Amino acid sequence: MKDKPYEVFEHTADIGIRVKGKDLKDLFRNAGLAVFAISTHKQFTRNKIHTSIIIKQKADNLEELFINWLNELLSLSSAKGLIFHGIKINKLAGNSLEALVVGSDIANYKVNTEIKAATFHELKIKQNDYGWLAEVILDV
Amino acid sequence: MSDINLEKIDDFRWRIPKAYKPGMRVPGIIYCDEKLLKDIRQDKALEQVANVAFLPGIVNASLAMPDIHWGYGFPIGGVAATDPENGGVISPGGVGFDINCGVRMLKTNLQYEDVKDKLKDLTYALFSDIPSGVGSKGDIRVSAKEEQEILIKGAQWAVEKGYGTQDDLDCTEENGAMPGADPEAVSERAYERGKAQSGTLGSGNHFLEVQVIDQLYDRNACDALNLDLGQVTIMIHSGSRGFGYQVCEDYTRSMMSCLQKYNINVPDRQLASAPLKSDEGKAYLGAMKCAANYAWANRQCLMHLTRLTFEKIFNLAWQKLGMFLIYDVAHNIAKIEKHIVDGQEKTLCVHRKGATRSLPAGHPELPERYKKLGQPVIIPGDMGRNSYLLVGQDGAKETFFSCCHGAGRLKSRTAAARSINLDTLLKELESQGIIVKASGRGTIVEEAPQAYKNVNDVVSVVHNTGLAKRVCRMRPLGVIKG
Repeated sequence: MKDKPYEVFEHTADIGIRVKGKDLKDLFRNAGLAVFAISTHKQFTRNKIHTSIIIKQKADNLEELFINWLNELLSLSSAKGLIFHGIKINKLAGNSLEALVVGSDIANYKVNTEIKAATFHELKIKQNDYGWLAEVILDV
Repeated sequence: MSDINLEKIDDFRWRIPKAYKPGMRVPGIIYCDEKLLKDIRQDKALEQVANVAFLPGIVNASLAMPDIHWGYGFPIGGVAATDPENGGVISPGGVGFDINCGVRMLKTNLQYEDVKDKLKDLTYALFSDIPSGVGSKGDIRVSAKEEQEILIKGAQWAVEKGYGTQDDLDCTEENGAMPGADPEAVSERAYERGKAQSGTLGSGNHFLEVQVIDQLYDRNACDALNLDLGQVTIMIHSGSRGFGYQVCEDYTRSMMSCLQKYNINVPDRQLASAPLKSDEGKAYLGAMKCAANYAWANRQCLMHLTRLTFEKIFNLAWQKLGMFLIYDVAHNIAKIEKHIVDGQEKTLCVHRKGATRSLPAGHPELPERYKKLGQPVIIPGDMGRNSYLLVGQDGAKETFFSCCHGAGRLKSRTAAARSINLDTLLKELESQGIIVKASGRGTIVEEAPQAYKNVNDVVSVVHNTGLAKRVCRMRPLGVIKG
């Protein structure tokens, strides 16, 4: 994970990702982008339109906010047929979040793996010398 | 890696004692032999068996089938029954995101000799006619009103549209629709994700395979099912697509608050649950049934498209090709069922997360045609080895009439992708007479035979423990992957 903000770790049936961020906003942003980076790569330009969406999430604690955020991205991606390639976390405080996400048509991408959802199983979010680190298992 | 100290019950049963972890309400029982146990110990599945034993109202034991491997919340291959009269809960994590992921098997009256020269055309035509891959959209389009109908009627909706027959419904678990589905309990987002995906295979481990019977184990059962050596069969593995994922996500999210509200203590939040008698528990069950019915409609549509492709390739009506459904089973589901516990009949909620129902001959839930034989139990293997047809046995009483659901993964997807060369794999498969077509090259490597346990070992355990009896074995010819 020296250069990249995330790395994949082993899980028998699913995929684990370890993500870092210099602060919580950076962690949430990097985790959101990692979910799409591991499952897709841009291959075509069939549709040049970029769609911006505001996402608002609230939860009882940081862990739930993190999982809800990733699942909202996956759910929106599937419902709208978009792959998100730009994320700006506008607000993140008191277990609530507001973000601007930018996506383009799934038809522009080669999708390697369908990620069904982010799970709470063995979820870790902790502060370290670098900033913040999260580990999450994604159901594929 | 797990070093849990297991108690050996016999050659095929191992116990995690209740004392292993404070909070376990019942012991864990794992069905496997020494060989499989070595693989099972490689990941955290045994810990998950112990975690499931925390669920309020769990009856007898947290059970694990021989294809058990590390999942999230429940292990994959986990079975747990809970008693609503004893505070029993229902957990979306005990069903999974792909609600009613399942498999159906149909026979043909074609012999291997009839298809071997057409196999490439047939496989390519199936790949082209059946929408597969991530986010695939089907030609079978439904209106918003029809989508609600699918959630209530399941496979019957497809039959009414002309995509099958009443006979198909008789050969589907729950006749292809669970009663009590509640479309009001489903979010708008789930409708949105589900609307374009009817009649699509999906991706990952979902597949459609043309197979040939290469071994008979029970001549009488094969005769009863009109199956013989060299006969071509078809297996379809798919689920509830984005619709089911959304239902699971919505209710996992809402059940987080139930943990505190109902004082439920579980060591993994992916086991979030609510009492079956609570409003939250009832709402999840109603929504889960919608997703289950969606999946049965989906597999019915996929079978219809398969029949049309065979008609095109062989220039014969599917009825003339003998393409009749043997059975369709769910392997990610929670069901309200009657079971005998300590000599008394009880109504329980049986969670099967990567496990197949296995009813013995004479069970009242069986359709008339299978009353004498027992329920067909369909166990797909991997794309290079075998799949099995079994029938349920009396021994499955001890597992709430449950059995394994597949071979079970051995290697992670990343490990498989690292160690397996795609071109070498495809050549190897081709040398065995197997043609593979997939939307993504990565999927083939991730789903390579080396990534799975040997299904022959897994099936041997369920046969030897009397959970189900081997009828016949198939090997793959043409494989379509998402």
